[in-house]
Order: sequence, then structure tokens, then C-alpha cells
Amino acid sequence: MNYVVLTIFFLLSALTLGSGIMVVTVKNIIHAALWLISTFVGVAALYMLMEAEFLAIVQVLVYAGAVSILVLFAIMLTRQITGTGTRQLHSRWWVAMLTAAALFGGVIVPTVWQQGSSWDKTASDAQAILVQQATEANGGTRPEIIPVAGTEELGAALMGEYLLPFEVVSLLLTAALIGAILIAFEERTRRRRVLTLAEELALRKRGIVEPHDEEGAVVPVDAEQAV
Amino acid sequence: MTYWPVIAVDAWIGLVLVSIIKVTLILVGGSLGMMFLTWYERRAIAYMQDRRGPNRVGPQGLLQPVSEAIKTMTKEDITPLDADRVVHFLAPVVMLGATVLAFAVIPWGNLFPSSLRVGVLFIFAVTGLHTVGMLMAGWGSNNKFALLGGMRGVAQMVSYEIPLLMALLPIILLSGSLSLTDIVTRQGDWYGFGWYVFSPVGLTAFITFFIAALAEGERTPFDIPEADSEIVAGYLTEYGGMKFAVFYLSNYMTNLALCFIMASLFLGGGNGPGVTALGTVLGGLLSLVYFFIKALALFFLMVLIRGTVPRLRVDQLMGFAWKFLLPIVLVNVFSTAIWVAITRWGPQAQIFTDWFGEPASDNYLRYGVAIVVTLIINLLAVYAVMRINRRQPSDLTEEEIALGLAG
Repeated sequence: MNYVVLTIFFLLSALTLGSGIMVVTVKNIIHAALWLISTFVGVAALYMLMEAEFLAIVQVLVYAGAVSILVLFAIMLTRQITGTGTRQLHSRWWVAMLTAAALFGGVIVPTVWQQGSSWDKTASDAQAILVQQATEANGGTRPEIIPVAGTEELGAALMGEYLLPFEVVSLLLTAALIGAILIAFEERTRRRRVLTLAEELALRKRGIVEPHDEEGAVVPVDAEQAV
Repeated sequence: MTYWPVIAVDAWIGLVLVSIIKVTLILVGGSLGMMFLTWYERRAIAYMQDRRGPNRVGPQGLLQPVSEAIKTMTKEDITPLDADRVVHFLAPVVMLGATVLAFAVIPWGNLFPSSLRVGVLFIFAVTGLHTVGMLMAGWGSNNKFALLGGMRGVAQMVSYEIPLLMALLPIILLSGSLSLTDIVTRQGDWYGFGWYVFSPVGLTAFITFFIAALAEGERTPFDIPEADSEIVAGYLTEYGGMKFAVFYLSNYMTNLALCFIMASLFLGGGNGPGVTALGTVLGGLLSLVYFFIKALALFFLMVLIRGTVPRLRVDQLMGFAWKFLLPIVLVNVFSTAIWVAITRWGPQAQIFTDWFGEPASDNYLRYGVAIVVTLIINLLAVYAVMRINRRQPSDLTEEEIALGLAG
């Protein structure tokens, strides 16, 4: 096995694991979210090392670029902005650690048991194995197209073999989206746009004053009928 | 496709050397392009406003960006006392890194730095990391205006990434590939004029992509994250000297990248009349010339918009993305599928062959029918979206009527 690949692999693994540990140990919750992004990017780099380009890029696009941004956004909108001094470790953290170790062992032990002799195979070795299998399936001659799980195969699988699960997931996500919009929108059904301070003042001068609750938030007039 | 584990050591060193040369060329080219763009934008906008713009340093003021680079480098580097030092420092690094990574796959004319099979996705994955830098700058500065700017920026980026990526889908359907190399070479038909923008679906995709790209590059009228008149300078508020310059570098390099991408995806990249006829070297040079003309024309359009259109309000920004751009882009994906079916399907749909003949690049009947059908669908979609979004007088709240906002 090539030492360059091995070195890169260990460096990337150290980056990924180190940032993963930082996610669960740092006090500042925003720092934790930023470390999470680093973990996602590390995992994407590992995919890239295995020459799974599409998977790596989707990992960056979805996890590092979208999910973590939403996490950060949600933290900033809901908590006090500083986010310092959050205690992350529960007093029974070792239970969680044991569970995680057991789950990881449950995956890794059978894999090593089954594939133990081929753990140091690189992508080119895997390619060679694929070529060999395809040649055997073709009756001894090397076929022109070697099946590798690329973008096209993924797309064909999603649109063919796994069409039903795909559609079910899409429907579920749509339902979640509509639910979120309903929850967020109910309070704003009356208010069509945010008024500027000058407009609020003009309204107040004309005697049209918005009903406010004690904290100063605007109470929609027809909220009771809406519920 | 190379498998580097089997490459011998000397070949491996060669690969590294070639990569280093490529990276250096791209970085220098990108930075010089950014410097040129700042000068170009200032001169162009000055003429629109009946001024002269920077014209003292060097011929026509061309060396103005150099003098400004020296100025920013010699300025004091300030970090606010209560800022999160590490995050504050890393934010411009993340921004610039995200931009520079995108240049790894963006073609220059018919020259391709690297031919990733999923190049188009790669560009938008790494530029999506921009938002991380923006949030880091906004939060790390420990400044209310910076935080507001960062939040605005992220909301804008997340909203406009959807129409941006959806506007790309028609191009991927038309070319059948995610690789920029394939997309550019497939636009070389018809004497170098097979650009995707010349079909109704491509035109719709181009216009929607251009609008979304304005928002992604924080160009006016979408420069809401750094709206000076509202929130000082947004997430840039607490940055000065070289860090500020790095933000600007990343911003203009993003705009350059977006112009390059639009020129490659919609305007045929380096394809034009005579490129294939002139051979590899001369044709390659000609393709570079065509490419830069297209990219600069697109950038001029951006400057023109900056010189004429006022900034949007935040709620208008969101409404525009979700209520206007997204439906049109979705309908466009649908009509692209129809376009592909009418122009390409032979054995898949016998009925088309019976009506219009075999699919071929000189079967003009098929293309004519496809143009008419998709044009009708897209125009209907635009009309319907405009009709739905037009506000009825009965929609106005009593506040708005009292304020005289009915118009």
C-alpha cells in the first residue's frame, strides 16, 4: 500500500476525529458548531480519498454547506448570542460513550471478520477487482464499460429500483415543510409586511395602534379565530 | 482518470510539479482578474454617473488597484478587544478558501484546469462554504451590525442557492453531464454557435441564474448583507487593513467565478466561429479571447445594474426568491424535459418520429416544434407568476391604506 495515501488517510482521520472530539467537549456552543463543519469536511475528504467524488461533493454541499449553516443559524436565533459557558457533558457521559463504542464495534467487527484480508485495498485494487469480476461475468473477455457506482448509476438506482422509498421520503419532507410554514405563518397572517419605525409613528399619530402584549410583541387581532 | 497509487515516483513528482504550476497560474490569474475588475467597475460606474473615476495611477488609472493593495498591506491590523480572536481571524480565510477552491474546475476558454466528473456540483458545494465565513465574520466580530449583516447574508445565500441550483438543472439535462468539460465541448455545434442560451429553456435558465448569481455574489440590488446605509458595512464592519482586502478579494473573485461559470454554461465558454478550424494552439488562444469577451460582457451587465437599480428591502428579497424565481425555474425544468424529449427521443417515443422524422442535429422541424412548445410553456409560466404575485386592492391591510401605501 502506498505510503503517501496512508499518510494522507491518517492525517484526514486525525482531523476528522479531533474535530469530532472538539464538537462534544468545547464550552462555546458556536465553536462546537464550527468544529462540526470541520468534521464534515474531513469526512468529505475521506470520501474523496476513496475516489467517491460525487459522495464527497454531496457531503460538502448538504452537510458542511447547508445543515451546519442551519444549525448555526438556529443557535444564533434562539440562544443568547454569546453562547459561552454551556456545559456540554452530561454527568453520565460514559453511558453514551459505551453505547457509541458498542455501536461502532457492532459495525466494525463483522466487517473485519468478513473482509479482514482485504482491509488495505486501495481504489485501484478495487478497480482491478471490478474489472476481474466484470470479465468473468462477460465470459473471459474484458467488457468495454466497467460498472463503477458513479453519478449515473446512483441516479438510475434512485429513479428505478428505489423509486418508492425516494418518493416516500420526498413526500415526508414536503409534509414537514408545509407543517413548518403553517406553524411559522399563523402568527403573521394579518401582518403583510414589516413596518419601518417612521410608518409605525405615522400610524400612532393617526390613532391606529397595534395591540401589543407585555413584552412588546405584536398580537394579531384575529389570532383567536385562527386557532 | 489516474490512479496515483500505481504511479512511479518520478511520474508522481511530475504530477505535483504540474499541479503547482496550474495552481500558481490560477491564483495569479484570479488575483489579477480581481484587481482588473475593481478598476473596471469603478471606471464604468464613474462614466455612468458622469464622473471620471480613478485615472491618475498608471495609464488610465490601471495601476490604481496596485497602489490600493500596498495601502491595505501597510495598514495596522486591528482586532476588537472583545472579539473572538480565532474566529475573527479565520473568517476571511474561509471566505477566500471557498472562492479559490471553485477556480480548480472553472475552465478558461477551452483550457480546463482539472476535469472533475462532477465539476458543476463541486463549484456550488465549495462556494456554499462562503456562508460559513460570513457567519464567522458576523459572530466573531462581537458587533451588532456585523451580526445583523452576517444573518442577512446567510438568509440571502440560503434562499438564492435554491433557484441558482435549480436554474442549472436544465443545462445538466441538455448536456447529460455534470462535467464542465463536457458541457463546454457540447456547445461547439453549429459552427461554434450551439450555445445553450439560444434555446428558450436555456434563455430562461440563463436569466434566472443571472439574477440568483447577483444575489450569491452580493451585487446590487442584492447587496443587503453590507448595506452601508442601514447596517454600517454588515459583517465587514470590524475588519480593516489586509483582512478587509481579503474579503474584497474573495468577493470580487466570486463575481469573476460567477461570470466565468455563466459564460461556460450558457454562452458556450470558449466556443465561437473559427475555434475548431484554427487548430489546437491558435484556436485555443482564440477561445480565450472569446471567453474573456463573454465574461467581461456579463460583468459589465452587473456593473450596469449596480449603476441603475436601487437596493431591495429584506422582505422583498425573500419574496422575490420564493414567489417569483423558484416557480419559474421549476417550470423551466419541466419544459427542458419536453425539449429533450422532442429533440432527442427516437425509439423511446415512436410517435415523435412518426410526426417529425428521425432525431438529428439537422432535423429543423423537431427543433422548431420544441422551440414553439417550450417558449409557450415558459411565457405562460412567467405570466401566471406575475399575475399571482400582483397584489389585489383587497389584500391591503388597513394600516397600509392609512399610510397611503396602496400603490
